[in-house]
Amino acid sequence: MRLLRDLVRTPEGAIGLGILTALVLVALFAPVLSAGDPLRIAGRALLPPFTDPAFPLGTDRLGRDVLAGILHGTRTSLSVGLAAALAAIAIGLCVGLTAGFAGGLVDEGLMRVVDAFQIVPSFLLALAFVSVIGASVPVVVLAIALGAWADPARLTRAQVLSIRERDYVASARVIGMHPAEIAFREILPNALPPVLALSAIIVAAAILTEAALSFLGLGDPNVVTWGSMIAEGRNILRSSPSLSIFPGIALVVTVVGVYLFSEGLTKALGGRRLEP
Amino acid sequence: MTIATLSRRTLLQAGGALLASTALPTATLAQAGSRLIVAADSEPKNLNPAIVASNGVFFIASKVVEPLAEASFDGKDGLAPRLATSWEGSADGKSVTFKLREGVKWHDGKPFTSADVAYSALSIWKPLQNLGRLVFANLEAVETPDATTAVFKFSKPTPLQLIRNALPVVSSVVPKHLYEGTDIATNPANVKLVGTGPFKLTEYKPGEYYRLTKNADYWGKGEPKLDEIIFRVLPDRAGAGAALEAEEIQLAAFSAVPLTDLARISKVPGLKVISKGYEALTYQLVVEINHRRKELADLKVRQAIAHAIDKNFVVDTIFLGYAAASTGPVPKNAPEFYDASVPTYAFDTAKANALLDEAGYKKGANGTRFSLKLRPAPYFNETKQFGDYLRQALAAVGIDAQLINADSAAHQKAVYTDHDFDLAIGPPVFRGDPAISTTILVRSGIPAGVPFSNQGGYENKELDGIIAKAAETVDTATRTELYKQFQKIVATDLPLINVAEWGFITVARDTVQNVSNNPRWAVSNWSDTALKS
Repeated sequence: MRLLRDLVRTPEGAIGLGILTALVLVALFAPVLSAGDPLRIAGRALLPPFTDPAFPLGTDRLGRDVLAGILHGTRTSLSVGLAAALAAIAIGLCVGLTAGFAGGLVDEGLMRVVDAFQIVPSFLLALAFVSVIGASVPVVVLAIALGAWADPARLTRAQVLSIRERDYVASARVIGMHPAEIAFREILPNALPPVLALSAIIVAAAILTEAALSFLGLGDPNVVTWGSMIAEGRNILRSSPSLSIFPGIALVVTVVGVYLFSEGLTKALGGRRLEP
Repeated sequence: MTIATLSRRTLLQAGGALLASTALPTATLAQAGSRLIVAADSEPKNLNPAIVASNGVFFIASKVVEPLAEASFDGKDGLAPRLATSWEGSADGKSVTFKLREGVKWHDGKPFTSADVAYSALSIWKPLQNLGRLVFANLEAVETPDATTAVFKFSKPTPLQLIRNALPVVSSVVPKHLYEGTDIATNPANVKLVGTGPFKLTEYKPGEYYRLTKNADYWGKGEPKLDEIIFRVLPDRAGAGAALEAEEIQLAAFSAVPLTDLARISKVPGLKVISKGYEALTYQLVVEINHRRKELADLKVRQAIAHAIDKNFVVDTIFLGYAAASTGPVPKNAPEFYDASVPTYAFDTAKANALLDEAGYKKGANGTRFSLKLRPAPYFNETKQFGDYLRQALAAVGIDAQLINADSAAHQKAVYTDHDFDLAIGPPVFRGDPAISTTILVRSGIPAGVPFSNQGGYENKELDGIIAKAAETVDTATRTELYKQFQKIVATDLPLINVAEWGFITVARDTVQNVSNNPRWAVSNWSDTALKS
């Protein structure tokens, strides 16, 4: 709760939180706001926006409602972004914690694996992964997480290396706590804040990667995503630019919201990081 | 220049110089006498049309290497003579005699003779060429009684009708003196083409352009009319329209300008949109069906799917009117074979629902009857959009189709090798004769892995019999009648569903003359194409 208070006190945090809350509400209530399959052919093709009250943002090449696509696209973008970031951070935390806490050969080995993943551009990795396995939401999530876990792993390891030399860790060792207990109960909670600050950036990157994958036709074709909407609009950019602009705006607002939130979070966490 | 001295003026000057340096070459290109600049979207590795009989190769190579005859709107048998001046089949269908043009020279100065035709046929078309393998499967020998006569001898009757229809595509003649005794597949002449055509391939810069220059010794009187053709490589489809408007190119064939841009482009002064000139290159939009799936093996379900598709929507909205609704496996652009009197399936959701109920697949609690895997081919925007449409059309009759997108290689492997599909959307090409195109989509007994063939496990002995009989029926009328029966059976039994058929669109500056004056214009030799100054 204190963290939330600190967060809202920073202007970035307040705006970011506002945007994200609105987006989450839209995502949750998308089926209520626009009932039915957003991909169904609802009206005449290529209605311009703001002309028909039934389709406020117009329709696309096949006569699908653009507004419905954007509302339901919020679901896909946010869920893929959050799931990918969660997966990346979970993997990163585990690997970083193990490497930092165990040290020695295990550390060396794990860090070389991290190096390997950091060397490969994460987008190329996702692209290759999805094109080999086939496009569906879980695969896309995994593909994005695969390229994003290395950074939190490094950060966690660095934190753990510094924390494990602290006195309270030494005393925990002396009183005979199990190493796993030390790792998860003493070290992890204190190594977490900077990783959490990083997580917002990972979410933003994951949303963008998902959009880029869909743009290239590697998203799940059975759900509507902003990236695929932009890709379809691209072919008629000169005659109906609105088809690409609206999902583009949605994407920008989301990513800006997540970034502002992450800025605010970093600032709010700033004062607390050194506390034991 | 250091950063400190970088004033606004120097920056502007440098910027101006930079602009001028990029503008200069295009300006000079556009001004030169009769030089036609054309958009090319691919750069084939092997440019030899005798080996690779595909449109991507023909687009460039057909100006350099000529076939025995070219397709024609008004010529006899739909052909215009090129390297052959006449052709005649024997009554038993076992030999065809070609009279060849006299006084034709290769680009390197050597004379063109019947030996070149015999060599091309026996050493390249029959063993190596993708389509020649089928057409010349029974070719035994080519006799050359004199320099301008070539007699093709077949071991089994081969219909002259088939050979005629295939001539423009399969009969590109290459020089024997450059190929004999070499490894044909790696011969340098596959890239540095030597032919008899109106243009010589003089320069190729990978990633930039192909330059073709006038062949002064061309056999056609007063031809070619152009001095040069430049094929500018523009891989981005969105770029061709802008390049036409900026007068950087004068012609974009093969729908390089997307359909959705045509309405706008057609209003630009000085540009015209031409949909003629692709009649012999008709693509068919086909729903391929995996008959191994129990539901789809039921004729009623296939009929229901056919009734669920609104062909008018497909033509008007997906193809924006640049297509025609199909009735069966032979397109209307092949009037020699086309038969309109086949069963048709009007768009009727209620009837589709009724048929599915009759077949015993009632709607479940969630409104769906069963689920299908739908794989649209990724080659065209339109095939992908039709995939999106078909999913919705099937949802309307309670069939849940799950789309699977894949790149070309993965799609071909999944559909034609692994049979990992229930419905697939394919764009097969009609190649002028059913024997070398549409029949392969329904004939049984084709091994797995042959792309663009019947891999849906469909088997119909009667249909197989007709196809086999037509392949060796020499009499044209009887053979045509067999293909009419073939169309009836396919339209009745629905081994696949033909939805629409379409050709490509050419966009050209109105200064370009004699555009689209034959049914394969984009891949013909352009000897009469001219530029009005």
